Amino acid sequence: MRDKLLFGRCIDTGSPIHRLDPRAKITGMILYLIAIIAVGSWPMLLVTVVFSIVYMLATRIPLKYFVKAAKPLWVLMVFIFVVQSLTVESGEVVLQIGGWALYAGGLKSGFIAAARMALLVSFTAILTFTTTPGLLNQGLDGVLKPLQKIGIKTQRLTLMMSIALRFIPTILDETHKILKAQAARGADIKELPWKEKGKLLLSLLVPVTVSAFRRAEELVLSMESRGYIVGAPRSEYHLLTWQTKDTWFVLSYVLLVAVVLTYRFI
Amino acid sequence: MSVHFEQVSFAYDDRSLWRHGALADVSLSITPGSFVGIAGITGSGKSTLLQHLNGILKPTAGRVKVLDFTIGAGDKGPLRELRRRVGLVFQFPEQQLFEDTVEKDLCFGPLNFGVPLEEAKDRASRALEMLGLDDSFLPRNPFHLSGGQMRKVAIASILTMEPDIIALDEPTATLDPQSRAELLQLLSRLQREEGKTVIVVTHRIEEMLPYAESWIVMKDGTPIFQGTPAELVREERHLSEAGLALPECIRLWNQLAIKLGLEQEEPCLSAEAIAERVAALYEHEVHPPTWGGGAGDAG
Repeated sequence: MRDKLLFGRCIDTGSPIHRLDPRAKITGMILYLIAIIAVGSWPMLLVTVVFSIVYMLATRIPLKYFVKAAKPLWVLMVFIFVVQSLTVESGEVVLQIGGWALYAGGLKSGFIAAARMALLVSFTAILTFTTTPGLLNQGLDGVLKPLQKIGIKTQRLTLMMSIALRFIPTILDETHKILKAQAARGADIKELPWKEKGKLLLSLLVPVTVSAFRRAEELVLSMESRGYIVGAPRSEYHLLTWQTKDTWFVLSYVLLVAVVLTYRFI
Repeated sequence: MSVHFEQVSFAYDDRSLWRHGALADVSLSITPGSFVGIAGITGSGKSTLLQHLNGILKPTAGRVKVLDFTIGAGDKGPLRELRRRVGLVFQFPEQQLFEDTVEKDLCFGPLNFGVPLEEAKDRASRALEMLGLDDSFLPRNPFHLSGGQMRKVAIASILTMEPDIIALDEPTATLDPQSRAELLQLLSRLQREEGKTVIVVTHRIEEMLPYAESWIVMKDGTPIFQGTPAELVREERHLSEAGLALPECIRLWNQLAIKLGLEQEEPCLSAEAIAERVAALYEHEVHPPTWGGGAGDAG
């Protein structure tokens, strides 16, 4: 189970991307998001794909891990493709059955929409694959800092983020342990028929939720007993340093956004 | 042989970037109806080894033979019958309970293996009684019990399956001293009177010395010692090699054995037994003890 869920895991390969400032990576991802929303044609899709693959290769993480990261969402991608293909009515008619027609434009926009989704999920995985949760948190804190001026408690947000990320593998592990315990007593989820599988999963809900709450309470107590006060001014153990390479990294994304937007609107 | 490992290796997350080996080339045998202790420090592969006994984990290389079942790398046969006959108590009881009442949890195993409801309930209250808990626990929520009670319920939930092999992962960890002794006595009784094979993973060697008939010492995923308690005492270096603290009674016996020339004898491993042995030596003067004198270097 653990090798299937890759979200929120850092894979350390020591590549140049790993050593970038997390703030640069987060900014880059936001710019990428803008670019991907603006992509609407074949040439620009190609540009974005090439851009993405270059960065994925630069992380020195095997490409199959990026594919795996997008895999859990394949149903959604198929859904987007089908809905777009069936509703957009432009271009030539490719297929006609009775009063219903499939248009080339519909297929195109369906394909591009699904591809955008796949690219977005697998590409943003670069962020979590190459950044340890601690640094990610610090970077997020840095990026959100301007919001403090309008009275938003950003530290609270980042603390919640980091705890949520920290708990994903823990809760999965716990689920896995209960599944093992059930298997040891004759109810192996792999061997059961579908209906029984569902029942067994349902019976997991209570103990896993109970233990998640218990863990959360224990965490709060342990943090408070070590003097943690929400919202108190805190210093950082490692200070983030912005370097020239970080600027170049962000600029490459600015360029991508510029190219995509120019092509779209001019 | 009720359990037989042939060059078994196991790695977690095999074929991924997170691969880490836990067992390396393990070969060992456990005779039916024996009481076996498996010792080793944290991370030495004890728990992984235990979870191979009922096919919860399958070897990435080599073969495991348990009773008349054989599990090799990549085998996928149905494991129900094996799991009915091998009861496995996991390390953390709170992660092993999942029903909303103790009774349901205790009946979960038997019902899965086709035992009628009435008999399952009967077994549930008998198993609780064996562990010193009464029927008032049956309707309670297992998550509201104390750590020690949870542990007992977890062990009882395995006993209700009436397995031939009972494997326990650090079962005494969260128990008070009295319950610990009672549990080990219960396991020893099940082994002697009902012929069950009992396998206990522990890092408290001392408390299991009176019961275990053979020992396996694990280090870095490989057994570095397999043998009888007497051999373990004689070859105490294996314990320190594995990073385990040497139990006081073993150290005491070995020092006495050197001074009094008892190396070939069956070791006495409790304070009472050692006292009696020494007293007997003085009374019969079979081997007149030579205190001090030339044997001072052994202290």
